[in-house]
Amino acid sequence: MVRMFSKRNLTIYAIALLLILGLNFLLPRMMPGDPLMAIYGKDALVQMTPDLQADLVERFSLDESMWQQFGAYFVALFKGDLGYSYHFNEPVFDVILGRLPWTLLLVGLSLILSTILGIVLGIESGWRRGSKTDKTMLGGIMALNGFPDFFLGMVLLLVFGVSLGILPLAGAMTPYSGLSGGALVLDVLKHLLLPLAALTLAHLAGGYLLTRNTMITVLKEPYMLTARAKGLPSRVLKYRHAGRNSMLPVITMTGIWLGRVVMGELFIEIIFSYPGLGYLTYEALLARDYPVIQGVFLLGATLVLAANFLVDLCYPRLDPRIRHAH
Amino acid sequence: MHIDLKKEVAHSGSGRFGIALFLLIVILAIFAPLLAGYDPTAQSPVDLESPSLSHLLGTNHVGQDIWSQLLYGARTSLLVGLSVAFLSTLLSAIIGASAALIGGLYDSIVMRVVDALIVIPVIIVLILVAAYLQPSLWILIILLSLLGWQGGARIVRAQALSLKEGMHVSAARSFGASRLYLIFRHILPDLSPILLVELIYSMRRAVFMEAGLAFIGISDPNMVSWGMMMRESLEFSYLDVWLWWLLPAGIALSLTIVSITFVGHALEPVMDPRLRGEASA
Amino acid sequence: MLRIKDLRVNYGQEQILKGIDLEVRDGECLAIVGESGAGKTTLGLSIMQLLEGRVQGEIFLDGLDLLSLPEKSMEEIRWDRVSMVFQNANNVLNPVHTVIEQVMEPMIEHHLSDRSEAKERAWQLLTRAGLPRDRFSAYPHQLSGGEQQRVLIAMALANDPELVILDEPVSSLDAASRAEIIGLLKSIGRDHTFIVISHDISSAAKLADKIATMYGGRIMELGPVSEVLSRPRHPYTRALLRSYPNMTTVKDLQGIKGRMTRPVTGCPFHPRCTQAIEVCAQETPSLAPTQGRYVACHRGGIITLLAARNLSKSFGPLKAVDSVSLSIEGGETLALVGQSGSGKTTLAKTLMGLWESDDGEVYLEGTKVDNRGKDFYRKVQMIFQNPGESLSHRLSVLELVREPLDIQGIGTKEEREHKVMRVLEEVELPNKGEFLERYPHHLSGGELQRLSIARALVLDPKVLIADEPTSFLDSSLQAKVLKLLLNLQEQRGLSMLFITHDIALSRKISDRMAIMLQGRIIEEGASNEVVTDPAHPYTESLVKSASDLHSKSEGLAQALFDQPL
Repeated sequence: MVRMFSKRNLTIYAIALLLILGLNFLLPRMMPGDPLMAIYGKDALVQMTPDLQADLVERFSLDESMWQQFGAYFVALFKGDLGYSYHFNEPVFDVILGRLPWTLLLVGLSLILSTILGIVLGIESGWRRGSKTDKTMLGGIMALNGFPDFFLGMVLLLVFGVSLGILPLAGAMTPYSGLSGGALVLDVLKHLLLPLAALTLAHLAGGYLLTRNTMITVLKEPYMLTARAKGLPSRVLKYRHAGRNSMLPVITMTGIWLGRVVMGELFIEIIFSYPGLGYLTYEALLARDYPVIQGVFLLGATLVLAANFLVDLCYPRLDPRIRHAH
Repeated sequence: MHIDLKKEVAHSGSGRFGIALFLLIVILAIFAPLLAGYDPTAQSPVDLESPSLSHLLGTNHVGQDIWSQLLYGARTSLLVGLSVAFLSTLLSAIIGASAALIGGLYDSIVMRVVDALIVIPVIIVLILVAAYLQPSLWILIILLSLLGWQGGARIVRAQALSLKEGMHVSAARSFGASRLYLIFRHILPDLSPILLVELIYSMRRAVFMEAGLAFIGISDPNMVSWGMMMRESLEFSYLDVWLWWLLPAGIALSLTIVSITFVGHALEPVMDPRLRGEASA
Repeated sequence: MLRIKDLRVNYGQEQILKGIDLEVRDGECLAIVGESGAGKTTLGLSIMQLLEGRVQGEIFLDGLDLLSLPEKSMEEIRWDRVSMVFQNANNVLNPVHTVIEQVMEPMIEHHLSDRSEAKERAWQLLTRAGLPRDRFSAYPHQLSGGEQQRVLIAMALANDPELVILDEPVSSLDAASRAEIIGLLKSIGRDHTFIVISHDISSAAKLADKIATMYGGRIMELGPVSEVLSRPRHPYTRALLRSYPNMTTVKDLQGIKGRMTRPVTGCPFHPRCTQAIEVCAQETPSLAPTQGRYVACHRGGIITLLAARNLSKSFGPLKAVDSVSLSIEGGETLALVGQSGSGKTTLAKTLMGLWESDDGEVYLEGTKVDNRGKDFYRKVQMIFQNPGESLSHRLSVLELVREPLDIQGIGTKEEREHKVMRVLEEVELPNKGEFLERYPHHLSGGELQRLSIARALVLDPKVLIADEPTSFLDSSLQAKVLKLLLNLQEQRGLSMLFITHDIALSRKISDRMAIMLQGRIIEEGASNEVVTDPAHPYTESLVKSASDLHSKSEGLAQALFDQPL
């Protein structure tokens, strides 16, 4: 579906950030009952000494007005204090930091791969619109798109991991293997393969369809006739001329689609027991470890906002009409 | 824009296929009690049984009949899907159209908020909220609707803006017709094609989200959900049981989403007439 | 260098090009001129093989038939030997690449240069095209229309092609840029062969050596620019020039009757041609050489309707008409200008046969006229200075207009009355009710003159000799009658011999002028030329003393004292 590019400036992101912070702050405090319990959860509370409880109450001004609470909350954030996880027995910040790189690896790679693949396939399909190749690709990818990413992941796991047993079932690395250097990289890649495949395949449809649609419109533009008249080979026509124009909307949408990929990431990590932020969230949810949930929420949302912002910055560099608007 | 929606779908092979499939699922869902044979939540000692004549798809780990669960799962998916689609499209229409028609400060503020909401990842908010609230079906529906209308609002607003220009012209000519009259007689009908497409894609998202949330464990414990089925089957993945437990649920979910996708794709020329002339896929 | 033989292009059911034959020599510039729908752009695209329809025929580029080439070979030829400057609309240049990149691209892709050489050459080309240096790295949307056009020109010359096709190179530009670009193209044109496609005759004229007019997918006329534009021989070319506002022609604008249609058989122009005969609807005429150019017309171009050779008439010792030769072509107006006593009315009457000539011959449609019978008068009619005198006061309007039909015995009574109604409508007189019963003395001057025109037209003549038809009328009425005559010419292809003493008036209504003095034709030529550059001193004095609206009466004074203005 074609959506329009809107110029998002910092105010938008500021508002979004504020909303996130607000939600994170307000939700536990709006729950009936003891705010400390709402923030930390029943299990955690059991483990705390009364002194610790009193200390926390003070730190977060839990017995004072909402505004003062928000102030304390904000100050704590600034200091990087996201709270303490009683489930993991570590500061929340450390817990998250430990899982973050794996998630970034998986999300980053799959985003790049699915975008590039989607664009290339979209160009080739759009170029041959109506042909058998196009129709097959279109039908195939639309059907593929119907499969939710978690289902795809499960099928891949079961087929390649359980039945065929050629790829690992869980984790990001073989534990306690003591590998290093090239062997380590290979090991990581082996573990990465299935989750990456699932995520990439599930999300390439968006880029493919949008590129293909844009390609169809672009091919009718006058400059394509000019390019043909120049006697350029079809490879050049497809990529330098049509493709370069067709990929622009996809780049715009990448920011918006990021949310979907993040969701997919969550599911995939759960299925493959991949030690990233998604799996962490799942564990925290099961254990009702509220500080971790809040921490992931905050960090995750902020990271997505940052990524969106980055994409917004990049787009003008690619479309000279925006960069040098009259 | 002269668009005959029925024609668009009828002409496209994929559109026809999508509608047919979707209708099939709807029928199965409606007649679930008749076709099921068992109460999907009824547990029995016959657990993890392979498919047989008495249990078409076998049973799960607590002896519940999988085929019945599959059928009732369709109900959940469709119910959530349609409700959320309807609600969020309604919200999109109201907020988008009002922003366009009222304009001014209201428009600026609303659109800023909408843009801000768009960049916030939905799933994370849902998890956070679900962690605190015990979601029932209706809370789920309301949450999904509240988080799903933003994209549509932008589109509706853009369309309403361009229609507004036409509205002024017709207002000038139609002897002082009231704004309300013009809205109902002219703008809304012209917005319907876009709203319909938005509805379809919204439903797709909602079905997906419902299953996904159920998969993580966020669902109404009284309802059967395909996502929940998939989640439960995951624990027993080392057994062969996944073939008739996981796969049917996943395939059912996929087919539902695919059918909606195909219908949506057939209607895409509605949004962008340049795409017309598409050979049916 | 380029030879096109019987090029036919079909798109679906429609035939866009119906057999084009053209030749362009090295270094020539050919302009292809026509209105929208004629097929000009299709022709240009077909040379480059960029069309989607079905193409048949032969296009020889230095002997190589482009239509027989496989796509790969055509790719090599494109831009290398033949390039195109496209019509500058939006998005003719790719919006995401800089203009210098786009100029460099064909050089690199055709393996003619590496990047640095290409950049240098692109630099030179853009400079020559007059693009400011700081614009080289700009993107297309940042440039003005004129700048984009320069880029398109520079880009077309990238690989130094033999042939460049330019499609409307200046149509989208303002007047100043237009002049600059035309100048640029003229200087570049010396080293290349150009084909310029345009609907703008003026710029085509400035650029080209040869010109071809196109209509309905066929070439109507082809020849040297100066010849074709000053003396068009094809009815369409002439009509095109008549409808084109420019600073050269002086006659009022006239259109072409009917609307553009695409007849399947015959000459594409025949439904709108005022001299079409039966064969025109059946067979398509091919280009045949005549009078220094090629014309596609079954009648050999614009026909000569009425001609006089060495016509003389004397009244005793006075030679009223002294060896006069003139000709009137189909669908044109020849103005006969002279003072009273010059012999113009005598000439008219002699032509009509009202006086018998002493010497010389008169030819009608090529055949000599010995006896003027009914056939002659069916084709040649006359209207006189004073309508009141030439219309019998005893006959009603209906009877007056019907009289010629009665005399000639044409049709039944109903058919005649029907014809009368029609012709009255044509001259914008009421054709119903009591008006038909009125008598001439109840009509105004303007109505009377229209009535006499109606009567003259009822036989569907081809030539109308009008002797001072408006001198008795007020100017506003005069203007209306003249407009009517011009319309009749447009709709019926009526030729006129318009006799007047007023050179300013004749300017507005005539294609050609003949100046008569003391029984002789002392000057003759295209109206605009006679008026702007008179050869004979008498003509000059006529021009200078003609009516003008300048507040100072320089004209008359100058004429008397013969001083330059």
